[in-house]
Amino acid sequence: MSVDRNPGTELDCERIYRVRVNTQSVLHRSNTLLQLKEPHTLWKCAWLLRGVSCIDLTTLSGDDTPSNVHRLCLKAVHPIRDDLLQRMDMHHKGVTTAAVCVYPSRVADAVKSLKAANSSLPVASVATGFPAGQTPLETRLQEVRMAVADGASEIDVVINRTLALTGQWEVMYDELHQFRAACGEAHMKTILAVGDLNSFSCVYRASMVAMMAGSDFIKTSTGKETVNATYPVAIVMARAIRDYFLFTGYKVSANQGTAAHHTHTNLCETCVCLCVGGLQTSGGGSVQLRSLCVGSASLKKSWDMIG
Amino acid sequence: MAGSTSTKTVFEIFESMESPPTASPSSATAQAWLEQRSRSLGFFIDGKFVCPVERQRCDLTDSKGAAVCSTACAEDEDVSQCCSSALDGLTAMCSLTCDQRAKVLLRLASVLGQHGQCVSELCGLCGVSTSPSVLVRMLQFYSSWAQLRDTLIPGWAPIGVVAVISSDDCSLCSLMLKVFPALAMGNPVVVIPGQSCAPPTLLLAQLFTASGLPAGALNVLTGNAVTLGAKVAQNPSIQYVAYTGNKQDGVMLCKATAGMGVPVSVTPCVGATCPFIIFDSADIDSAVDEVMEAAFRKKREVNWVLYVQESVVDSVVARLKMRVAGKECVALRSEAERGLVDAAVQEAQQQGATLIQSCTPPSSGALYPPTVLCGAAAASSCVVSPSAGPLLPLITFRGNTEAVTLGNHSPHGQAASIWTEELTLALETANSLSVGSVWVNSHSVFDPCLPASGHKDSGTCTDGGQEGLYQFLRPSSCSSVIVHSTPASLDYAKFGESVASPIIPNESGSAPQFYLQFVGGKPCKAVSGRSVPVLTPGGESVLAYVPDGGRKDVRNAVEAAIKVQPGWMKKSPTARAQSLYALAKALEAKRRDIVVSLSSHAGLSVDEAENEVELSVNRLTVWAAYCDKVRGGSLPMPRSGSALSFPEALGVVGVVLPEKNPILSMVTLLGAAVATGNAVILVPNQENPLPVLAFIQVLQASDLPAGLVNVITGSRDQLTAALANHNVIKAIWYWGGAEGCQYLQYTCNSPLKTLRLCSDKNKPSQYWTRSLPVLLEDLWRSGVQWKSVWIPTA
Repeated sequence: MSVDRNPGTELDCERIYRVRVNTQSVLHRSNTLLQLKEPHTLWKCAWLLRGVSCIDLTTLSGDDTPSNVHRLCLKAVHPIRDDLLQRMDMHHKGVTTAAVCVYPSRVADAVKSLKAANSSLPVASVATGFPAGQTPLETRLQEVRMAVADGASEIDVVINRTLALTGQWEVMYDELHQFRAACGEAHMKTILAVGDLNSFSCVYRASMVAMMAGSDFIKTSTGKETVNATYPVAIVMARAIRDYFLFTGYKVSANQGTAAHHTHTNLCETCVCLCVGGLQTSGGGSVQLRSLCVGSASLKKSWDMIG
Repeated sequence: MAGSTSTKTVFEIFESMESPPTASPSSATAQAWLEQRSRSLGFFIDGKFVCPVERQRCDLTDSKGAAVCSTACAEDEDVSQCCSSALDGLTAMCSLTCDQRAKVLLRLASVLGQHGQCVSELCGLCGVSTSPSVLVRMLQFYSSWAQLRDTLIPGWAPIGVVAVISSDDCSLCSLMLKVFPALAMGNPVVVIPGQSCAPPTLLLAQLFTASGLPAGALNVLTGNAVTLGAKVAQNPSIQYVAYTGNKQDGVMLCKATAGMGVPVSVTPCVGATCPFIIFDSADIDSAVDEVMEAAFRKKREVNWVLYVQESVVDSVVARLKMRVAGKECVALRSEAERGLVDAAVQEAQQQGATLIQSCTPPSSGALYPPTVLCGAAAASSCVVSPSAGPLLPLITFRGNTEAVTLGNHSPHGQAASIWTEELTLALETANSLSVGSVWVNSHSVFDPCLPASGHKDSGTCTDGGQEGLYQFLRPSSCSSVIVHSTPASLDYAKFGESVASPIIPNESGSAPQFYLQFVGGKPCKAVSGRSVPVLTPGGESVLAYVPDGGRKDVRNAVEAAIKVQPGWMKKSPTARAQSLYALAKALEAKRRDIVVSLSSHAGLSVDEAENEVELSVNRLTVWAAYCDKVRGGSLPMPRSGSALSFPEALGVVGVVLPEKNPILSMVTLLGAAVATGNAVILVPNQENPLPVLAFIQVLQASDLPAGLVNVITGSRDQLTAALANHNVIKAIWYWGGAEGCQYLQYTCNSPLKTLRLCSDKNKPSQYWTRSLPVLLEDLWRSGVQWKSVWIPTA
């Protein structure tokens, strides 16, 4: 995995409170991007494959057992039919999803299955009282430590929405900072649950605090709120990432040091997390952002094809 | 997918995540339409295509240089054929009911729905920016006004045949923003589109006729906008000429049509400089995204200048650098343009500007990368007279006041975009900017419901909204038809130059009285110190001497006026009304003196004079009541947000007063101007200025701010020339001879002035004495310009 991790910064409250997001212009921007033409054949395939390679293939339900986690792991290693990949000359390029994502209790099963399949695919675990985050700090920290001990190399933490909604950014920063410490070598991916946050400014501020606290990824949602990843929210978070890059020189990053950004979207029964390379941070990223959402919209089709 | 680029593999794209090359849009439908016309277009006259032979032809090519079609250049016989067809069109239009007219517009909207593809492809081929959905929205908006014209605008009638002229670089929508309202109000239209706009306009004319528009109601002639425009304007059937496009052609058209007796309005919608102001309370990310889109889009009609508050300039520049980085070079129209762009950039650099570019400009060729000129000087040519290249000057400001000062520091006043999350700041800035359209946290929002008058050099009429309809209407009680005249050969440089003969003491016992004029609230002599005699009606003896005012007197009066006018406009309408009531009362109090002056100097009987003063007092009272009735409101934008319109005073209005009803006409015009917030410079009739001079004592007794109303006497031509040549005066209302009208039309072009040219001769004798609401509305509407403010919300 990457060497260069986001070290985080001091909490800069002034920067947090200065944030202004004009809802209507973000929506306008998102409409403008959505009106761009869909890419055609070659580009569509490539972008969709990139989308697949950014997915955290996930199962987060009460009836998860070792057997369906095992199937999930195999699917993650082999997300697309070989004959399709062959036709695109992509069969030797190692197209897999980015990770497998499960509840902490299933981490050991996933690690075992992937090892059996000879795959180095990382296992991600949700933690910190997922999805609501309404449990005591001590148990949330313990959850992180145990998931790491079981072999998870990525931890998806959820922010405490109570703190975000009441504007207690210092407390939220401290919590996330402790999570990061508990993660150790594992990547910390911070889920903002944007559907629970009441405004784009709040999303922007939460993104900023999460990055200052040392998140390696920021993600939109748990997939359990009524509203999850939407296009405008992705724009707001991407802008926060750009802002963070501008003042720290650090791209909140994961794969091969490229900038990354997570969005959640409900897809079939699974919760798919898209990790997007090069998003918006390179400045001309609008089209790539677009590609991603085209990808996420059309992923259902490809997903059916795979499944 | 383009065959040539298919060498890329999926893996390469997977790795680089690059964007596909842009495919060239299809143009099959438009090509088929052009083929059907054999790629050689003629005119559209009397509901059908007319393609006379032996006309000079212009070839039109697309952006890649391929031939699209050729258009014809109309000659005199085409013009007369077209205008007589338009007269038939007028009869046909008059026989349509409002309902039928509305239906035609609506039907075209649905026909456009079917043929939108053809229209947009044709526009694409000809390099004209447009979108059929905007045209459909305009048609729907104007169709509802066509339906309700007689209900909501009673007392007004269509003006007659309208000529709509546009320059080559004008978009189809700007052109149709003149054509649709003219048709909706029941006027036949002769369109002279710019060359690249010609094919889409001809297509629209065809579709219009298919939608049931009577033959002759919409005719299209092609050729040179200025020379052909002038030929058409000369035709006696034309009642109004509306021009839209670039400034230079507009000025040439004004000069070419001067003295023809037909009113010409100019909307220079192309080439204006517009401020894009980012305050520190703005959503910087959104602002930067939008300024990139506004400033570097391929087809843009205006040039943006970016003003950024000093405290956030670093964030803005950092984001601009990132956004500019990925941009490709923009194609310029010609190699020559490239030279201009290079020169502008070089000049800016010499003045200390730094560049933000995605790449160094290619050494030659009609290409240039999008470039931000950070720290450009406000006076450098890239700000004052920008070239067509993708250049965006960036200037910093310290605070709100400075932002407004910088934003107003431009000869143009078309539009502005301001970015802040603070409502108060947004509205205050919107009010202080002298532009027609203000877009808060957005830019380039055009909708037919938004009325906007270009301020300063950006126009002489209002387009859009209900307010924009009045240019195509006239009070129906005033049945006058424009009397065309032939331009006289006039030496414009010498106009108004006359030397008053010196006054020598008279031998006769009764020495005529010396009157004073009224400048800056004080009675005074002319700066020159000279006086001119006023003769008795018979002309046999000298009645009195009045100051011989000239250029310097006008200058002093303007200086006094601009000191008080902004304060007067800012006063609450109620306070303005109280001042006018007080003026009416003062006139009542001095009634005796005015009656004496009218009866002894203007040849009125005592009864007539009493009556005139009575009517004048009433008129002032009416204007006082109007003060808080002239108001804007919220507009029905088809998006969520608040759209507001504000009537604003023009500034300083020069009024050359008519001869008839000296006091009544004077208070009517003065009231119209002052009630709407203007300052005025009155020039009394040369032959009989004494009643107006007697009125000075009334002005002194009133509480109008000193300098708001000025009276200057002297030679009419000399003062007309002085008013015409003063840059600050925004409008001139002129009663006088044809020569003066011709001089004003020829001269008042830089900066543009709104002209209201009348002649006593073609006004009915009771024009002033009748107190018709429509006539008063006509007057106050010429005293205001409209500003629209658009605040979008989620």
